[in-house]
Amino acid sequence: MNNNDLSIIFTASLVASSCALLGCFLILRKMAMVGDAISHAVLPGIVIAFLISGSRDSMTMLIGAGLIGVLTTFLIEFLHKKAKLQTDASIGVTFTWLFAIGVVLISLFAGKVDLDQDCVLYGEIAYVPLDTLIVGGQSIGPRALYIMGIILTIIILFIWIGYKELFLTTFDPAYASAIGISTTLWHYLLMGAVSATTVASFESVGAILVVALLIAPAATAYLITDNLKWMLVIACIAGIVASITGYFFAVWLDGSIAGAIAAMAGAIFVLAMIFSPTHGILMKKISAQPES
Amino acid sequence: MDNENIVYPALEVHDLTVAFDRKPVLWNIDLTLPEGKLVGIVGPNGAGKSTLIKAVMGLLPLSSGYVKLFDQPINDVRKRISYVPQRESVDWDFPASVLDVVLMGRYSKLGLFKRPRKADYDVALDCLKKVGMEAYINRQISQLSGGQQQRTFLARALAQQADIYFMDEPFAGVDAATEKAIINLLRTMTEAKKTVIVVHHDLQSVTQYFDWLLMLNTRLIACGPTSTVFTQQNLQETYGGKLTLLSDVGDLIRRENFPNREGVTRKVL
Repeated sequence: MNNNDLSIIFTASLVASSCALLGCFLILRKMAMVGDAISHAVLPGIVIAFLISGSRDSMTMLIGAGLIGVLTTFLIEFLHKKAKLQTDASIGVTFTWLFAIGVVLISLFAGKVDLDQDCVLYGEIAYVPLDTLIVGGQSIGPRALYIMGIILTIIILFIWIGYKELFLTTFDPAYASAIGISTTLWHYLLMGAVSATTVASFESVGAILVVALLIAPAATAYLITDNLKWMLVIACIAGIVASITGYFFAVWLDGSIAGAIAAMAGAIFVLAMIFSPTHGILMKKISAQPES
Repeated sequence: MDNENIVYPALEVHDLTVAFDRKPVLWNIDLTLPEGKLVGIVGPNGAGKSTLIKAVMGLLPLSSGYVKLFDQPINDVRKRISYVPQRESVDWDFPASVLDVVLMGRYSKLGLFKRPRKADYDVALDCLKKVGMEAYINRQISQLSGGQQQRTFLARALAQQADIYFMDEPFAGVDAATEKAIINLLRTMTEAKKTVIVVHHDLQSVTQYFDWLLMLNTRLIACGPTSTVFTQQNLQETYGGKLTLLSDVGDLIRRENFPNREGVTRKVL
């Protein structure tokens, strides 16, 4: 294993952990598809940021995409609350609409924009080691590794500081409001974190892998434990295991790394579904069997 | 009218109207509740009982009117308010234990950054004892029965050590023995000058349980000491044409000749 392998596995693990932590709260809030929505809806943000700044500098892109990401969550809330649309329907309308605007913008300015939808959707984690961060003429390692390191640190701090509030507003929002904890504030903080993570991750690993990592590891952990703290830990472990096994699976197959990682995340979920000590199909079968 | 004699109102509601899709659910509610009373809210389905307590706590937008708690706007006294939501309003498959839920009652006192300390755990344990749930402290909430879920919610509210409690049907799905235990607990709370407001369904137990009664059907029909407002006429106005039920309650009142607070038996009808 050389440096390139390691930096790809590390980056994927950082993305997986960030996504897994946020995914736990998304699943418990029954908002799993919000990550999907944000990852697609940020496309016009990226294009507009590119058109305004004229550069593919990742900071500009991050800001443009981040703003649109938060706008997406506002729109979803707005359609849900004001237009009385169900949450899933408002998610569906919002992100397809924004994504379509992005596609139109790219095709309109095709000559000027050095972007294509495939790259945004599928990403390419294999290129992570090639894009290095250079400080004082010295390469200090892949840029994506640093970006995802910062994002994961922010998310861990966010959950560490706001654990009680996130727990309470997720479990019982009416009670939280009654005792004076703002559910709206924590909703948007969480959505802001999801936007930032999605946007930062999809540049390196692609939107589809982000969506898979937001949901599959958290869903796996949900099946394994009945304790929220353990759920967060197990989700991270599941995400990291999927990243490592997925990478070697891809090398063995000589196929897409992002695809293989997402596939492994799915496989781990299936294993949890069958073998989980509390909710597993197998355990239920065994305990349901009459004693002979 | 007894309302005018209330010196220290725990709750004042003025001209409150709440509408969903421009249809009024609550219309022009004006009421005052005294401190230290066990207050029942009764009314038929869809009368706006739950809506009233949610509106009072500021969980719903008001179409008009205002609410004062302890003579202050609601947002200034959030720490003195506690709420027991309807049991069905949360997902009981949530990954949490009984203790986790009861500790939530301490969150408003803790503030951001701080984690529950030993003192908070002690309060939580004490409250679980009060509702007879100390044996289930580490139980997953998904494994609780309906009555146990209700008692967990009650323990959480108690752990807040608030001054006014809003409870949305705390007796739904609770067995008779638990209901008795809960009502005794609420009584000791009101003796300690806490105000407890309970959305209630069972008219048979109204006279035994509540000192003060609020009869609601979109409009406020009556609000006052149970002994004066729980009358055939007010019931008729509150429940409209549902006469079979009414005559049952009428019979009950006639049979019991129910006593008022001073212990003097008085004929109501």
